[in-house]
Amino acid sequence: MDRRKIDVIMASVLIVVGVIILKNDNLSVGGVESSLGSLFLPRIVALFIIGLSAIIGIQSLLKIRKKQIQEGDEIINLSGFLGVNLYVAIFIAYWFLTPYVGFLITTPVIMLSIAFLLGGRNWWIMIPVSIITAFVVFYGCRHFLRVFLPTWSLS
Amino acid sequence: MIENIIAGFSSIFAVGPILAIISGIFIGITFGAIPGISAIMAIAIILPLTFYVDPIIGITMLLAVYKAGIYGGSISAILINTPGAAASFLTALDGYALTKKGQGLKALNVSLLSSVTGEALATLVLIFVAAPISVISLQAGPIEKVFLLLFAFTVIGSLSGDSIPRGLLSCALGMLFAMVGLSTITGASRFTFDIPQLIGGFTFTPMLIGVLVMPEVINVVKRRRIKQEVIRIGDSSRPEDNKFSFKEYKSVFPTILKSTGIGTFIGALPGLGSSTAAFIAYSEAKRTSKEPEKFGEGSVEGIASAESANNAVCGSSLIPMLTLSIPGDDVAALLMGAFLIHGLTPGPLIFTESPQIIYAIFAGFLLTDLFLFFIAKAGFRVFTKIASLKRYYIFPCVTVFAFTGAFTAGQNMYDVLVLIMFMVLGYSMRLVGLNPAVFIIGFILTPFLEQNLDQALAIVGNDYYLFFASPFSWVFTALAIFFVYSSFHIKKKIKKNIVLPADKAITKS
Repeated sequence: MDRRKIDVIMASVLIVVGVIILKNDNLSVGGVESSLGSLFLPRIVALFIIGLSAIIGIQSLLKIRKKQIQEGDEIINLSGFLGVNLYVAIFIAYWFLTPYVGFLITTPVIMLSIAFLLGGRNWWIMIPVSIITAFVVFYGCRHFLRVFLPTWSLS
Repeated sequence: MIENIIAGFSSIFAVGPILAIISGIFIGITFGAIPGISAIMAIAIILPLTFYVDPIIGITMLLAVYKAGIYGGSISAILINTPGAAASFLTALDGYALTKKGQGLKALNVSLLSSVTGEALATLVLIFVAAPISVISLQAGPIEKVFLLLFAFTVIGSLSGDSIPRGLLSCALGMLFAMVGLSTITGASRFTFDIPQLIGGFTFTPMLIGVLVMPEVINVVKRRRIKQEVIRIGDSSRPEDNKFSFKEYKSVFPTILKSTGIGTFIGALPGLGSSTAAFIAYSEAKRTSKEPEKFGEGSVEGIASAESANNAVCGSSLIPMLTLSIPGDDVAALLMGAFLIHGLTPGPLIFTESPQIIYAIFAGFLLTDLFLFFIAKAGFRVFTKIASLKRYYIFPCVTVFAFTGAFTAGQNMYDVLVLIMFMVLGYSMRLVGLNPAVFIIGFILTPFLEQNLDQALAIVGNDYYLFFASPFSWVFTALAIFFVYSSFHIKKKIKKNIVLPADKAITKS
């Protein structure tokens, strides 16, 4: 994938965000008067974002128009991206399910899914490892750190 | 100062801190040696565990993980030519060449002794230099601090990024994210869009793990079809191939000393980091060596120079953080976060407000080198065995630790959502050449900038020329311009000299 095209899209989005920060007064609500003002620094930063994005975007656009050969960093290797998407999906499922099903049940399932994604098929070792890890982390957090990880709750 | 150092040692010689150092070293070497896991990842995962212990124990443990993790990176670099970080690339070059000749154990010994020597000397510099610098920096008022912070943003942004605009943009984005939530000055809620969870801003730990740690896990997932190499120490039948004698150590000591000096100096400058130190020290060692042709072909001097320089950065990178409140690199940014979480504000005041803690941490830093030497020396084979574990055992555990670490920060699932969002953001940033470490530094320093800018404006009123009345303003502005200009040359030189093979350099440069 051509990173230069992504650069142009990213730069455009960031410029729009920067302009919104510069123009919109409703981005800061309440507060007291100060020498600086609540939106002074955000607006300075927004100006920088616009300027730097423009530099990156224009450089990439010119390279695309001149049909320059892509250098090493400008090619995004997409092989293995399906796995990345699956990993993110597994993590989202972990976040979503834990409050309902509980940490002790969700964790082994998630660990086994990730192990499977990474090519693990050695179930006789993976299953005990995932269960033991879940228990050690759950009770370790509870007793040593006083952190109470979510438990089973369908309410 | 001497009394403080003695008091520091007396605080560190207790069961808690020593156990923390030993466990930190074990964790650091193990994580560092596993290809795909770096020292910063280890620190970020361990960080939440330290919230609940004494700052001396917690921070000493994190520093032990840091030092041992940097050293651990050289194990996989030497034995399977897979540097865990760009800084170990040169170690891999000569170390792997020695491994192929059956001298893997010797390469590991050279790396260990050079690392420990470099770290210990840099730590001594940190101990004796930090306090005097902090006395000078105490003289700085809000105006000077504003210029200092602007200088830091410019230098870190321009030197650490893939390119100068991308580095500065990473910094600006970090600054923008830092301003989400209640303003500490006016009390106004900014960029919250009526979402109550955003009023407190983004929680630091989940954001940190998301931006710095999880993209490395994603990288491993992306490269999952590439066969995992087995890490093994190949023993030689000749005893001299397996050890690094004192005579050999003495012969490379001048190189170690010079490289440590380079590493200490580079580490003390914000933004340059261990990779630059290793590259410069290696080039210098090669230039002055009697056998420059051996460099890249299994040179003991090559390993010693790269390792002592990149480990010297560990100690000296804390100098700008402890004296000026400026984290010099990503690990220092993370450690700065850890200090803040423990109620210690890194900066010149730390030496007067909490001398007993800071000198205990320094003492722990020195003690870590001693323990690192003995633990690593005794456990070469154990650590290589652990590092050889299949990735499908390691990375599910890393995922669970990251999840738990994020949850621990505020004991709520919202923080896990923050982790996921920043994981995606951090990985996307890497894809487009933005630097997540600079993003974090921008995030951490912005509240200090805003506070000092507000105070500075209150001081100058409408007389804006007063901003430039102090010589500090001119000095820092000139330094910022100089660093931006010189970063062009440094980047050109490094690109010209070394081309990192994409398959071998796992993490960011």
